[in-house]
Amino acid sequence: MSTQPAVAPQRPVPAPLEEPPIYRADLTLTKVTEDILAPVFAKPTRQWWTAFLIAAGCFAIGVAAVVYQLIVGMGIIGIQWPAMWGTYIANFVFWIGIGHAGTLISAILFLFRQRWRTAINRSAEAMTIFAVMVAGMFPLLHVGRTVIAYWLFPYPNQRHLWVNFRSPLIWDVFAVSTYATISILFWYQGMIPDLATVRDRIAKTGFWKKFYGVISLGWKGHAKDWHHYEVAYAMLAAIATPLVLSVHSNVSTDFATATAPGWHSTIFPPYFVAGAIFSGFAMVVTLLVIVRYVFRLEDYLTIDHMEMMNKIILVTSMMVGYSYFAELFTAWYTSNVYEQYRFYGVHFDPHFWLLFHGPNAAPAYLMWSCNVFIPALFWFRKIRRSIPVMFILTLFVSVGMWFERYTIIVDSQMRQYLPSSWGAYRPTRWDYAVLLGSFGMFFSLFLLFCRFVPVVAVAEVKQALRRQVGEPPAPQPAMEEVNA
Amino acid sequence: MPKTKTPPQPVVVGVYLDPHALVHAAESARDRGFRGLDAIVPYPIHGISEALNYKPSWMPRITKGFFFAGAAAGFTFEAWSMAVAWPINIAGKPFVSVPAYMPVTFECGILCAGIATFAAVLMAARLRPRPNFVPIDPRFTNDRFALLIPYGEEGPAAAQACLAGTGALEVYEIAS
Repeated sequence: MSTQPAVAPQRPVPAPLEEPPIYRADLTLTKVTEDILAPVFAKPTRQWWTAFLIAAGCFAIGVAAVVYQLIVGMGIIGIQWPAMWGTYIANFVFWIGIGHAGTLISAILFLFRQRWRTAINRSAEAMTIFAVMVAGMFPLLHVGRTVIAYWLFPYPNQRHLWVNFRSPLIWDVFAVSTYATISILFWYQGMIPDLATVRDRIAKTGFWKKFYGVISLGWKGHAKDWHHYEVAYAMLAAIATPLVLSVHSNVSTDFATATAPGWHSTIFPPYFVAGAIFSGFAMVVTLLVIVRYVFRLEDYLTIDHMEMMNKIILVTSMMVGYSYFAELFTAWYTSNVYEQYRFYGVHFDPHFWLLFHGPNAAPAYLMWSCNVFIPALFWFRKIRRSIPVMFILTLFVSVGMWFERYTIIVDSQMRQYLPSSWGAYRPTRWDYAVLLGSFGMFFSLFLLFCRFVPVVAVAEVKQALRRQVGEPPAPQPAMEEVNA
Repeated sequence: MPKTKTPPQPVVVGVYLDPHALVHAAESARDRGFRGLDAIVPYPIHGISEALNYKPSWMPRITKGFFFAGAAAGFTFEAWSMAVAWPINIAGKPFVSVPAYMPVTFECGILCAGIATFAAVLMAARLRPRPNFVPIDPRFTNDRFALLIPYGEEGPAAAQACLAGTGALEVYEIAS
């Protein structure tokens, strides 16, 4: 017979977990507007001009290199058989990956109701757009005959030919152009109310009043407008989420559907997406460290927000580390000599000091150390919360992720099945110039963005701030409608 | 057919400092029988849609509809161009290679859904470039919340009384 008591003893009910405050409690709506809009109204500082001129100078070098290439041909860059995909494709994959953090922050964290994203989503989305713009140039340059790069799109033509829709290269064309379009729409829609705030703050009439009047599209802030706007924002987030995961998966199939050792792997889509988020977050942290310092936005881009991003960097670093290890393990465990030749060569080639001089282990060493070992320092709270340290660590991550792309793309081509297909790839000064130009273009655009539009989402910060100081729990109609 | 422009209807504006007060004022005005209520707020306030009796937004239908339409159009075009317009045997694969067509089908759906949703926002909020835009009050995109009650021949007195009784900091009239 059971000896259980008739009434079960009551367990103590744990207190509900309280979210830590996202912003300082003493911020007012007016102060939020003034602080965030200050850089838009202020004249550009000497630091801004210095940074912009350096970035524009780098961009100019890249443009000059591209123009020279278009005039004399592809022979000036380092690609040669068997490595016909060189730094241009590595740059493409790298920059597309950088863009992923923006969409992750704006869409996925939105769907997960991570309110700390309100401080960083605007600049992260801007970063996405500029990174995708930079990335989009590389396939156009890589095809060699750039003036007829529009052949990549299916269009009615005299010969009635169509593109091959079974090819991952065409999937890329659709994925990247869709990604660029949706990112721009999402970013712009989120910005319309803030542009209206800028418009209404400009006292004098003139060009800038008209300019912000045009780009804010006559936004008034009626409750009915917000009612549709919020649901539309949630819908865009809902479609951007699978989109962002599909884009780098598609990019990875460029390699995974080929039979080259090191490429032909089912791990590629998640591996590429994790790497993309990892590199993108690192770039966001690098940029925001500068932005919060230059524009005095420490109250909005708080140390807690930076720590959150560093935690994501840590998690995704472990994901990419696992992928590196899984690739090596697979090569060993399957006893596939071609895979082993490729992976052992990449990791243990003795001539590792000959970086960029044919097949050697240096890029892989940089990849492991910058992407797996150095970010592991983020396990320490003090390091996660130290601005100078995180700045340096995220620069390492950017370097490491570029070399990861380089290793994946270039090394596999140098170590194919037959000894007659082995060869050496060495980038030329033109490859470096175009790479430098891509960074110049990215930073030039980002600096212009900081100058002309609010770098933090004013309306979203106000909403988060208001909820923090005691608005009643939100019924969240947007998500209910999404689910319905 | 020439466009007919509705004449501006005069409204009474009540300005609030606190979004709670605005929601309570909207509920109060609604319960007192005022119709055609509107609010202008610097950021979305939860509860105001219910207070103003808004129906659920039709945006999700636009997004879903255009997603499926875009995806169907994308797949149809792929199948037509590969199997009908100029069928080419590529590595012995079927002319309609359904799995290989999925990425582009998906991207077409997303592209159509995104553009349609954005266009729907522009239409719903009647957004268009306005270089000479003059706001009702520039504070409404900053730190003030407004409730707008339209009035007709009966005059503004009842609306003014309602707004003043719900804690409005300022009450004034405008031609909407």
